[in-house]
Amino acid sequence: MYKEHTVCVVVPAYNEEKLIGRVLETMPDYVDKIVVVDDGSSDETATIASGFDVHILRHPVNLGEGAAIATGIEYALLEKADVVVTFDADGQMSAEDIGAVVNEVLEEGVDVALGSRFLTARPKGMPRMKKIGLKLATIFTKLSTGLKITDTHNGLRAFKAKALRKIVITQNRMAHASEILSEIARNKLTYREVPVTISYTDYSKAKGQSIFNTINILYELFTGGGK
Amino acid sequence: MISIKIILTIFLLVILRAFLVQESLVLTKRVVAFSMFLVLVLLVMFPKISTCVANAVGIGRGVDLVFYFSHLFLLFLIVGLWRRSVVLMATITKLSRAIAVQSARKPQVGKEQKTEGKDPT
Repeated sequence: MYKEHTVCVVVPAYNEEKLIGRVLETMPDYVDKIVVVDDGSSDETATIASGFDVHILRHPVNLGEGAAIATGIEYALLEKADVVVTFDADGQMSAEDIGAVVNEVLEEGVDVALGSRFLTARPKGMPRMKKIGLKLATIFTKLSTGLKITDTHNGLRAFKAKALRKIVITQNRMAHASEILSEIARNKLTYREVPVTISYTDYSKAKGQSIFNTINILYELFTGGGK
Repeated sequence: MISIKIILTIFLLVILRAFLVQESLVLTKRVVAFSMFLVLVLLVMFPKISTCVANAVGIGRGVDLVFYFSHLFLLFLIVGLWRRSVVLMATITKLSRAIAVQSARKPQVGKEQKTEGKDPT
């Protein structure tokens, strides 16, 4: 409970056995429900997650991060969450920032709080190409939705349940991040960006999105995400 | 000169067969497939036909005309297949989501004890 509201954290996970344990360990006490969505992993992600006090949902086949988030959100709403947070399982995010986004939604009353790694000092160890790619994404977002966002592809977000019911995610794979933003614009939801930290370890660099994927994400957006 | 015509006709026959062996194929589609086969065989056997038609519409060679139409046809086909795969993917997603939500595993480490959740055993 966070100020009398049920907080639910959705963690999409695909083959994250190495780090998901560490991520779940750090979850703050005020988080009422943790929903791990195992996106058809072929490793021990689900087994490791089942050692924690979490709800585990499993996609029979791998569908992509967008689909996993959408599944987690649907479940969180069924479980009567007041605030839903999305949080990555790869250990790049800091669990302390969950409080910041949740607080923004509950105290400041915005519908959606979006994490941004660019509101504070320049993120340490961020590859230069990555920075350029993300910069291009902000321009693309400005042009397509009119939203002025400093970090369009940040997986740490908090949603009010009421706002979440209006957001429809159809992009199964990485393009869901842009889709969430265009849904915010379409439904005229209020939003605010919150500074969060994203750490760049060798593991995350190897696993995370390469800059070349920007092209894939654009392609997914234009073609509707169906392969 | 004769041999390439025979090879092409054999290929067309193989494709036609691949269509017609599907038991689920409705009669109208069978007729369409068969008539397309007949037209293509005619074009292969008597290339002059396509040249005549091509000249009539202002294209020099008959082969070019066939080339343009086959490209249009293939593009049409690709768009159709792609749209079908988008619908298919959406269906699979819906199905997977329903399965995931129905077979959700609730926490078993006791109720709302976040701090105790640290021990995976």
